[in-house]
This record gives sequence, structure tokens and C-alpha cells, in this order.
Amino acid sequence: MKNRKHKSDLVILFATLGLMALGLIVIYAIGPMRANVLNNTYGADYDSNYFFFGQLRAVALSLLAFFAAFKWIPYKYVKKYAKFLLILSLFLCGLLWVLSMLNSSLAKCELGECRWFQFGPISFQPAEFLKLAMVIYLADFLTRKREEGSIGKLREFWLPLSIVCGLSLFLVVIAEGDLGTGVALISIIFGMLLIAGVPARQYLILLALILVVAVGAVATSSHRMERVNAWLDTISGSESSDSTYHIENAILAIGTGGFFGVGIGNSVQATGYLPESINDSIFAILGETFGFIGLFLVIIVFAVILLRMLKVASSTPAFDEHLFIVGVFAWVFAQVVVNIMAMTGLVPVTGITLPLLSYGGTSMVFLAYALGLVLQLSCYTSREVITNEDISSGGRLGRTYHSSRRRSS
Amino acid sequence: MAMPRNNINSPVEPVISTKRRLNILKFLVFAALAIITLRLLFIQIIEHDFWIARADKEHTILETITARRGEIYMMDHNEPVAAVLNQTTYQIVIDPTVTKKEDIQHILETYAKDYTVTNLDEVYSTEGLRYSIVAKNVPRTIIEEIAKENPSAIWFKKTNQRVYPEGDLGSAMLGFINTDGVGQYGIESSLNDILSGKDGLLKTTADVNSVALSIGNDNVKIPAEDGKDLVLSIDRGLERGTEEIAAKHIEKTPATNAAALIMNPNTGEVLTMASVPNYDPNHYSEVKDASVFINQVTEVPYEPASVCKSFAFSAAINEGVMTADTTYFNQGYEIVDGWEIKNAEQRASLYGTIDMRTALYWSLNTGSIYALKLLGGNPAAINQTGREKLYDYYYNKFRLGQATEIELNEAEGFIPDPNEGWGRDSAYANITFGQNLGITMIQTATAYSAVINGGTYHSPTIIKGELVNDEIVPLENITKKVNEKILSDETSATMRDMFVNNRSYKKQGKIDRDGYQIGGKSGTAQVIKNGAYDDTMSETVGTYIGFVGAEGELPKYVIMVKMWGEGQYVDGQIASYLFDDLSNYLIDYLKIKPKV
Repeated sequence: MKNRKHKSDLVILFATLGLMALGLIVIYAIGPMRANVLNNTYGADYDSNYFFFGQLRAVALSLLAFFAAFKWIPYKYVKKYAKFLLILSLFLCGLLWVLSMLNSSLAKCELGECRWFQFGPISFQPAEFLKLAMVIYLADFLTRKREEGSIGKLREFWLPLSIVCGLSLFLVVIAEGDLGTGVALISIIFGMLLIAGVPARQYLILLALILVVAVGAVATSSHRMERVNAWLDTISGSESSDSTYHIENAILAIGTGGFFGVGIGNSVQATGYLPESINDSIFAILGETFGFIGLFLVIIVFAVILLRMLKVASSTPAFDEHLFIVGVFAWVFAQVVVNIMAMTGLVPVTGITLPLLSYGGTSMVFLAYALGLVLQLSCYTSREVITNEDISSGGRLGRTYHSSRRRSS
Repeated sequence: MAMPRNNINSPVEPVISTKRRLNILKFLVFAALAIITLRLLFIQIIEHDFWIARADKEHTILETITARRGEIYMMDHNEPVAAVLNQTTYQIVIDPTVTKKEDIQHILETYAKDYTVTNLDEVYSTEGLRYSIVAKNVPRTIIEEIAKENPSAIWFKKTNQRVYPEGDLGSAMLGFINTDGVGQYGIESSLNDILSGKDGLLKTTADVNSVALSIGNDNVKIPAEDGKDLVLSIDRGLERGTEEIAAKHIEKTPATNAAALIMNPNTGEVLTMASVPNYDPNHYSEVKDASVFINQVTEVPYEPASVCKSFAFSAAINEGVMTADTTYFNQGYEIVDGWEIKNAEQRASLYGTIDMRTALYWSLNTGSIYALKLLGGNPAAINQTGREKLYDYYYNKFRLGQATEIELNEAEGFIPDPNEGWGRDSAYANITFGQNLGITMIQTATAYSAVINGGTYHSPTIIKGELVNDEIVPLENITKKVNEKILSDETSATMRDMFVNNRSYKKQGKIDRDGYQIGGKSGTAQVIKNGAYDDTMSETVGTYIGFVGAEGELPKYVIMVKMWGEGQYVDGQIASYLFDDLSNYLIDYLKIKPKV
């Protein structure tokens, strides 16, 4: 069913632009400190505005991607390339892995993990591309399977799905050691599977299975175990150590901020105490700078984006488009929640960026592109769907009826 | 199967069917963000003060701005010259995880080969090492050279060192600095406060590399007050010569130790103050026998023996009860309080009636006891008046047995009370010839200066002033100084004549040159062994004190020497030889013109 085009979701639009602007301001304030720390501690030679201009470039590229997705490239056209995009992104991830094993200068490594291609001044993180490709692909794949009626079936559904998802997770988590992207991918997969209508029992079994695998993966990796122990040490208030340093300093930054924050440009934690102050830890710096008020507003903005996406999804009639929006939702949700919970000591640190705020080009460009597509789809929501739904669901009783019927299938 | 039927029934069915599952996601959003918000409330509101305190601890550096310690200068004739300096040297520090090995290797080999203290291969093969001092004591000039190369990830750490460029010169008088930067012994200790100045304080918010930030409101900076550069009245060349001559005399006599003092009797300024053997304050930790740290001139009270007859005689003459020509009957000994006090010199020619000049020349104890009797107004016996008068001269006028207020650590010593205790008369008979009391060399020499300078007591001083822009500015009020006329000019002149007479044999022996007025007095002190004076004289301390000047003028220099050795007989005669050499050296060094 095709709806007439109407105005896009202005809330998502302005929330996205607002967050980008906020990130730019904060990087402008703390970028020089970051450059100073790197210059003094590692003998680097960064200009004090290096990070600001880096972020400015990232925002410019992201806006380009955002509006390209929003205005110029229809989703219908994009989804035709779903399989191709996924294969390309998997190929790039695999290529990076091979290059890093060959110690190629094209593979850029930091702290022993090789996650970037490096071509001169430009670096590119294929895992970010993979997330987008995965959302586009799964939206297409799950819709096809749903139409075929093969959802939940072992050979037609679970087998191809396992291969695609397993390969992706392998390349990201094992080959690149990027647990953060792994968490986002899992969130995307589970979010989309939930909506695709996978039988509840199978869904729960899979959830349990992935939990077991996750626990196993953590327990068998000394590096991940250290992070978990560090987290447990922090929340139990044990002795400080090198591994608890990151979380402690993140909470210290947030705690110092108090209700109103220390004000922009007055962050002390950004002067080298807090690791990754401009990327993964930017939420903590926001907390120090803008206090509880500031963080609460940021959380509200993210909540608004997430809830608006669900609203757009619920009134998008085409099922693949509907699924796509949920995928993007799951992507943003995972990054926001996992990042913030890590910074507040609620979960162990996984190394995940805060969408639209953290320093970093690739992640912002791809997420902006995804949000642009969501915005494009928000122009085609159907009022009738919502009305129909409200009538057909009737009330609490009616919904229960539908659900119980579905569950019995 | 429900699924296909849904598809067939209605195209909008999927939306409706997923509505509930969308609600699950909506719930997850609310739940997660609610948990986070609660957590933030907890951290930012409830725990806020805790984190502020914690941040204060982590971010604030409380740094002492170290005051520069004052340097110490001696005089070289009329110019101040450095005797104690501060040297700023640097350590080169690397972090092997970020410093490139070839960089530091190049720098060490090109510039700092002589200062390298580690093996780079070892440093770089040590796992997890993040701090390594690779060179030490590197002078500033070399660091400046290295800095021109703009090396990255190589740090220079400033260290301060106290340097004594003259080595062991005047060591007991100068002292040294311990590892905490606190002066030990000598001037370094006694004037530690003036030298060390006042440290400042810097309290500031700093970045992770402890570099001060302009962030924060409670930054405090109290600048340091640097220590004063002190100029001693000590003459460097004279001190060196004095110590060398004293060391030679130790070699050729039974003495193992010597102390020597040269001062200006007219001002109280000390020109040399030697305690030999010396030690090198640059390497004080290598010293085995800590007694070398002690300044023998100011810190050790002792019995200067017959040297004190100068004071007993001065007192009696100044009171007008005695002259150099006063006579008494010398029978070679005296019984006081039942004790027999003998003269050391027992030659037959001295028996009978002799004058005081002769008594001083031969250093007869009966002579100084007679002076005490005369002070009491009774030539036949020592009495209370005599004791009190002698005490008044010794303690109140000559200030023996009390600190002289020289700018050094000093011992007070003691003079026995004239009226308390048993056997006062014998005790006072003893102090007329310098036993049964404890006084320091500086007390003795200062009192002696008053005896020969015309009768004025000038508190001794070793400080000429503070060096400010190469100018010596007098320092007021370090210690309380006294300038007090205590003897008449006539008394002083009489005493000078007698001291010159004492050395008539030295003049005849051409030891004292023509054209100079040189006088002196020797002393040989018995040592207390097992609570009593050792009459076998198996160990004695030899002292000699005298003055030097051009003939016909008031003497300009007082020299006092003390020599001793554990279990050794060292008498005033042995000490006088050291005095002889020092007086002649002094005349040559200072080019004192003789009267033609």
C-alpha cells in the first residue's frame, strides 16, 4: 500500500541536528585538551583545533549523508541493493582482517585492535557500514521470509540467518575485537527478529542461547573478563586499579558535574584523567560540563528520537520499511543505552560510541544516513493504519485476543 | 498456521500483529532510560559531595615552591668568594613505552655520555617499565643543547645540589646539608633558617600530567622567599693556610687534633676557624668518625689552663689592687682547703719574693692565686669578696661560661658559683689558672681580645653581611651583639707588656721578627680521668693564645690554638709552636708592615 507523501517527522530531524551541534560544541571545548594530553603523554603533535575540525568534517559529511538519504535516494532503490551492500560490507570487514594479519599499513590499529582502513588522511571503519548494511538486509530478508511464511523454519529461515549473523559477529567481535559493534549488531538482530514475528518460544530460546555464548565469550577472554572484574570492583567500591581507572574517572566526571555542571570549558577530567574523553566517554564529559540538567536533557532527546522512531514504524504500512525503522531504532537504542550505562557503572565498558555526539567520522556518517532514511520513510506514514489499528485492536481485550491467537500458532 | 493467514487476510495485519511487540521496545526505552536517570540522580545529586572531594584529591596539586637556599661566601682579602654553592643539575627521564629508543640513544651518545647511568638495552627489555632515569647530574648547558633538538617524549627533571667547591676547607665551621635539605652542623645548621628562606606554596588544579590549569577558583600561589646569601668574615686563603699549618703540626707532634682561631680583637670578627682533621662536606656520608663534624672552636667547652691567668691578672690589675711589679713570696705551692696546689715550674731561682711579671712568664699557679687573694683584699687568704670579684670578671665582664652569640652553634660551658658548695676557695684557686671551669675557645679568645685591645669586649662574629647584587649589606639582629668597655686602657697596656715579655725568648730566638709586637700565653691542662685531675699528666691539652701586630700599634689579630690527642701529652709549649708558625704566616699572608 502506498501513502501520499507528507511532511517528514520534524522531531527526529531537529533532535538529530541538535545532537550533532551539541557534540560539535563539546568537542570544540575539550578537543584542545585532548590534543594537549596526546602531545604531552605520547609525544604526538596535534594542533589544538585538530579534533574540532575533524568533528566538523564528520558533521559535514554526516549532514550530506543525512540529506542524501532523506531527500534524494528513495528507500525502494536502496533496498534493491540490500544483498549487495551486506556482501560488500562483509567483504570489507574480512579484507581488513586479512590486511591486519599481514601488518599492512592500510589497516590502522589502536591498542592492538585493527578496526580502520587508512588511506592517507582518511580512515574508514567497515564495521559501521556493516551495521547499516545489516539493517537494510534484514529488513528485506525478514520481509521475504514472512511473505513466504517460512519464519521460524529451520532450513529456510534459521540456517541462512545464522550464517549471515554468525559471519558478521565473527568478523566484528572475534576478528576486529570490537565488542561494542557486536553488541549493537546483536541488538539490531534481536530487535528486528522480535518485530518480524519470530515465535516467542524460539525467540526466548535464542535469547538464552546468545546469553550463554556471551557469558562464555567473556569468561574465556582474559581481556573481557578484566573489564567485567573492573566493573564489579567499581560498583563494589573495591581498591582502585588500572582496570577500574576508566569507569572510576567516568563516574568521577559525572559526579563532579552535580546538578548544573561546571560549565563549558571548565572540564578538568577532559584534561587527561578520563580516557577516550572525546569519543566513548563524551557522556561523562557532558555530565561534568552540564550536570544532571544537561544529561537529563540529552537523555530526553534520545528518548524522543527513539520513541518517535517507534511511532513512525508503527504507522509505516510497508513491512520491510517498518522493519528497517525498527532496526535503526535497535541500533541507536543499543549504542545509547550501553554507552551511558557503561559510563555510569551500570554495565561493563564495551567500547561503544554515543550516537551523534562522540568524536568519530564513520559511525556518525552511517548512522546519519540511516536516520535520513527513517526520516524519508516518515513522509509516507499512514494515518489510516493508525486509525484502523486503533479500531481493530479495540481495547485491551482485543489486543490480548490477537496476541493469544498468534501465540497459539 | 497463523502467519500465512495473516498475509492473506489483510495487508495491514502485520502492523497490527507487531503492535504489542513494538510496545515491548517502547517499554525497554522507558525502563532503560529510567534506570539511567535514577543512576544519574544518585551520582550527581546524592553522591555529588563525595565526588567533588574525590576530584579535589585527584586534580589538585599541592606543590611546594622551593625557596632557593642562600649561598655562603668567604672573603678573599676584600672580595667575597663562593664557599658554598647551589648547583642545578638535571636528570634525563624517559618512558620506554613512548620514547623511541634510537632517539634517546642518539641524545645520550651525542650529548650526555658522561652522565649516562643506565643501560638502554636493559631499560627497553624490562617489561612494563614506564619511568626510567637514564642520565643524572647533567649540567644545564648540556640540557639546553639537547632541548634545541626538540626531542619528543624525553623529560628533564631538575635537581638541586649543594656544592662545596673548596672541598674540606672550613668543614666543621660550614657544615653540610642532609638529604632532606636541612643544614647539619656549622653555619648550615646554625643559620639554617636564614639560608633556607621560606618555601612558597602552589595549590592548583592540574591536568593528568600535573601541569597547572587555569580552571578552578581556589588556586593559591604563595611565592617563595629565597634564602640569603651570606658572606662570612672568614678569609678563604687564611683559613686554607691555617688548616694546612695545623695539619702539619699534627703530623710532627703527638697531637692528633688541632683547632685554631684567628680573630680581629678590635671588632670581634673571626678570620679563621679551623678544626683539623677536616672532612669533605660534598661527601659527608662517607665520614667514619662523626667527631669531625664538631666545631671545636665553639661547641666544646674545655679547660684552657694557664691561659686564664690572663683574666685573673687583668681583674686584679683593673681593680687597682695589683701591678706587674707587685711582689709576693713564691714557695712553689699553696695549700687551699687542705689541697696542695703546686706550680708546674719548680726551678730554685723562682723561690722567694718575685713580681707578677715573672709569675706570669713562668706561669706560676701561686701567682694567679695571689691575684685572687689581692682581689679579696687579703694577701694572706682567699675570701668571699675575692671569689665574687673574680666571678664578676670571669662571668659578667669576660662573659666566660656563657654563649658569645657568635652565629654558630655553641656550648655555654660553666663557671662555678663563688658561694655555693664545698671547697669554694680551692675551686676558685683553680679557676685562676684555668682549671675547674669549662669554657670554649671562642669565649676565651673573645675575652682575651678585650684584655689586649684596650679593654673593650666585642661579641665575636663570623658574618660580614648579606650579599645583594655583589654588594655586602650588613645583616642586623641575627644575634645580640655587645660592645662593652670592661677594662681600663692602662690595665690592657700592662697586660700587653706582660704578654710580650712572655715571648721574649721567642724574640731572642728570632722566631718573632723585629718590628712586630707579638705577645702570648700558653696553657697546659690536665684532663679529668675517673672523676679527678690526672696528676701523672699522661694526657694533657695544650693551648696557646696571643696577639700579633706592628710594633707601637694596638694589635690587630688574636690567634688561639688548641692541640690534643687521646692519651697524649700535648702541652702549651707544643701549642706555642703552632702559634709561632701561624703568627708568621699571618704576617706574610696579610703583609702586615713592621715598624721600621
